[in-house]
This record gives sequence, C-alpha cells and structure tokens, in this order.
Amino acid sequence: MAGRGVLAYGFIGLLLLVVGVPFYWMVNTSLKTSAQLQSLAPYYYPSPGTLGNYRALLGTTNFPIWIRNSALVAVGATLVTVLVSSLAGYSLTRIRYPGRRLLATTVLIVYLVPPTLLFIPLYTILKRADLVNSLWALLVAYPTFTVPFCTWLLMGFFRSIPRDLEEAAMVDGATRLGAFRRVILPLTTPGILAAALFAFTLAWNEFLYALVFVHDTELKTIPVGLNDLMFGDIFLWGQLMAAAVVTTLPVIVLYTYLQRYMVEGLTAGAVKG
Amino acid sequence: MTRPSALRRVRVADALVGYLFVSPLCVLVLGLVAYPLGNAVWISLTDKYVGYAPRFVGLANYAALARDPIFHKVVWNSAVFTLASVAVKVVLGMLMALALQRALVARSFLRAVLLVPWVIPTVITALTWHWMFNALWGLINVTLQGVGLQREPIAWLGQPATAMAAVITANVWRGFPFFGVSLLAGMQTIPRDLYEAAAVDGASPAQRFWHITLPGLRLVLLVTTLISLIFTLNDFNIVYVLTRGGPGTATHVLATYTYEIGFQALRWGKAVAVSMFLMPVIAVMIVIVTRYLTREE
Repeated sequence: MAGRGVLAYGFIGLLLLVVGVPFYWMVNTSLKTSAQLQSLAPYYYPSPGTLGNYRALLGTTNFPIWIRNSALVAVGATLVTVLVSSLAGYSLTRIRYPGRRLLATTVLIVYLVPPTLLFIPLYTILKRADLVNSLWALLVAYPTFTVPFCTWLLMGFFRSIPRDLEEAAMVDGATRLGAFRRVILPLTTPGILAAALFAFTLAWNEFLYALVFVHDTELKTIPVGLNDLMFGDIFLWGQLMAAAVVTTLPVIVLYTYLQRYMVEGLTAGAVKG
Repeated sequence: MTRPSALRRVRVADALVGYLFVSPLCVLVLGLVAYPLGNAVWISLTDKYVGYAPRFVGLANYAALARDPIFHKVVWNSAVFTLASVAVKVVLGMLMALALQRALVARSFLRAVLLVPWVIPTVITALTWHWMFNALWGLINVTLQGVGLQREPIAWLGQPATAMAAVITANVWRGFPFFGVSLLAGMQTIPRDLYEAAAVDGASPAQRFWHITLPGLRLVLLVTTLISLIFTLNDFNIVYVLTRGGPGTATHVLATYTYEIGFQALRWGKAVAVSMFLMPVIAVMIVIVTRYLTREE
C-alpha cells in the first residue's frame, strides 16, 4: 500500500512540474531585459531581475486600455449572465409548465454549439445593429456561451434545494417571487458565485469573437491586444510575458478564493474541455 | 367547487411566472443562437462575398470544398489534432485522477493547483508555449541542448511534424486537468464496498481498475470525452496563436481555415460551408451527450 502511495505522489509531483514550468517561465522571462533573454549566463533565473518590462507595458503600450476593456466586458457579461441564468435555472427546475423539459434540453444543446459555427452569422447580426467595432458587440455575443453554461450549472444547484422549504414559505403567504428572493437565492449563493466566476473567466479569456467583432486598437480586449503585440515587428517576449503574468493573476486570485465552488460547479455536471 | 378552480388559478399564475423567468433565456437562444445557425445554413448555400449581395448557389460551396486539396488537408489536420489531443488528455487525466484518489493528504489542494492551466486564458497558454518553443532562445531547445539530447536548435513551430506536435502539446497541457478533475469526481461516486469485496476476493489492483473503476466511470468518461472532442475539434485559439495554421497548411484546422476564408479572403459562403461540414458529426455527439446528461434526472 505504502509503495503505491509513493507512486501516486511521485506522479502528482511530475504533473505539478509539467503544470508549473510554463508559469515559472512566464515570471522568469518577465523579469529579464531583452539582452538577458538572449544570453545563457544565467539562463534559468533573472539576475539581476528587472521590472522594466512591467513599466514599459503599463507606460508605453495600450495594455492599460485593454485591461479596462476586458474588465468592462467581463463584468458586464457576468452581470447579464447571472441575472438571466438564475431566473431561467430556477424556472426550469422549480416551476411546472408545458415545454420546460424541452427548454432544459435546449440549454444543454446550445452550450455545446461551438462558436466557430456562429461567428460569421453573429457578425451579420451585429453589423445590422451597428454594434460591430464596439464593446457592445462583445456584451451581446458573450452571453451566447456564458448563459447556457451557467444556466445548466445553476439548475444543478437549484435541484439540490429541498422543495419543502419554498413550499412552506408559500403556504405562509409568500408569493413565488418572495419565496425565490428570500428562501431560494440565499441558499443558492455558492452556486451563483460559481456561475459568476465561470462567466467572468469565460468572458475574460474569450478570443475569437473579440478578434472578429472589434477592430480599433483602443477597443481591443487583452487576448487580442497581446496577439497583435506578438506579431508586431519584433517579438517583445519580456513585455509579452509580463502581460501574461498580469492577465493571469486576477483569474488565479479569484480562483484561489473560490476554487471550492468552481470545482463543485464543474463536477455538478456542466463541463467544458 | 371554489377550491379546485382557485388551485387551478394558482397553477396558471405559477406557470406564467415560470415563462416570465425563462423568457430572457428564450430571447437569447432564439435571437443569438438559433437564428444565426439557420442563417449560417443559408449563407453556406450562397456565394456571399463581403460587400456584395448573396446569390443562391445551392451546394456549390460544398462541392468546391470536396475538390479543394487544402480543405482535405485541413480536415485531416483537424482529425489528427483532435484525436491525438483528446487521447492524450484522457490517459493523462485518468492517471491524474487515479493518483489523486490514492493521495489522502492534501488531495483537494493538489486538485486545485493542477486545475490552474484550465482556468487561465488560452491565448496566454499559447503565447507562453510559443516562447518556450522559440527556435533560438526557447526553454525547450536550450534545455535539450544543455543536457546533450539535441545538438542543433530545432525550429519546432517551423516544421510540419513538430508544429503539429507543438499545438497538440499546448492543447493537452490546457485540457488534461479537466479530465482529471471530472474522472476523480466520478471515482468518488463508486461505492467503496465494491473495492472491499474485490480485495477480499483477492483481486489485483489492475483487476479492480478494469472490473470496478472503469465500468463505474463509463458515463463520466463518455460525456467528458465527447464534450472535449466537440471543443477540440473547433479549437481556434491555440492553433491560431501558435502557428497561424502554418508552416504552409501543416496545422491549419477547420476553425483557422474558416477564419482565413471568412476574414482574409472575405468569402463568407465558402467560409461558413467549411464550418458546416462537420455539423453532422458534431450534431451526433451533441445528441449523445444531451441524452446521457438529461437521462440521470
């Protein structure tokens, strides 16, 4: 038994190394000057370390604007998603009416429809609404993948709350809305937190729609902006990796605090790989 | 007589609230998914070129693709990229889940740390691997040369075979933790007494894995594999950022080819036909996933 424990931890150690190396390399690169990046002595750690890349990134590029754009879009999409998904998730699991099973299945199907199929027809719609090349385009497009995912996620959470609780509240004279607000919502807080976190992460990470629907540099989100920076004339790897660190940090901080809910949500049945 | 009708009124009122709550979702699904999908089918049957009115051409776009050698290459690349990535992700994920299952100390902490590649932006993942694969100063070349495994630097992203291996590597790095976490959750639902009974009967660990763990994971494995197949088959970010489909067309996949024809050549009819080509395969996978995930309730 002990032998297999060692084997298990050995393999986990190997995986930690595989997962950790790219992160270490990001940080290491971000702390080096261009000259240090093209030198072997020393190669595996910054010596002396410099914050020059971070200063240049925040002071001389459009990166701060891209952060603002990404944050605006991600927060906006999260708010819309949480509102639409929690109402729909509740309705689909707790209220009986004709067609709800079909709707529930549709949510899952829509979640599985890949963006590759949608980006050209969506562009046509956004163009007609005169939203192309504005952050509104992304705010309209992102719920197409965040809402089905989060609705499916929340349906699992709503299902886990005993029916008796809200029925008791309604017998006591609370309306459907009152029961939803005062009994169900507080109990579903972990689920809503998980949904919000997923929505934010999916929107913050999105690339294809942002690449296609927005053209002006001042309106780009971080992933698209960085992609531009990378295929400029020179590969500014120090700055790019500094940007990678800055972009990854909020996701990791959020994740560290909320990973319990996130893993719970992930394993509740709604998943993506 | 008043009670049943009062009850009915309550039910109807309740159903109305139900429809009210679900209506924003319906608007979204109809307007921004169902309509665009229908529209996509229509566009693929026209010769739509950006800036010109579309003309109906029937299946001409599909027929042209069937004769297009680049498209053949793209379909082949997509198959290689998807099947190789998903196969490695399943195996690594299974090993990760088995190891975490045995790890009694710090299991949830380790699970959380190993899931990090899956939550960070894919573009960042691709950028970082791009730099690590760099021909001159990339970590991989310098380290392989340093330990003597390789004499000359290799242009990983510049040669067809290694470029494909590189995009697969980045995709696997991002995706295997998802399998690990899902399969671990699946393992935790297998009743313990099955293992205890098998241990009493003298079953070896391999036998226990084969006869208890694997059958117990059948559903989770099927669903996660299909979902991963759907999204890997349509992956755009990793390939686009790492290689732009190159060198030549060596790593061009359906998503990058659709983008290239649609937004560089501006031929939308043909571009949408490219993405529609796999619709039957994707639809079958979606139906299977949906059936299994809604059956449990």
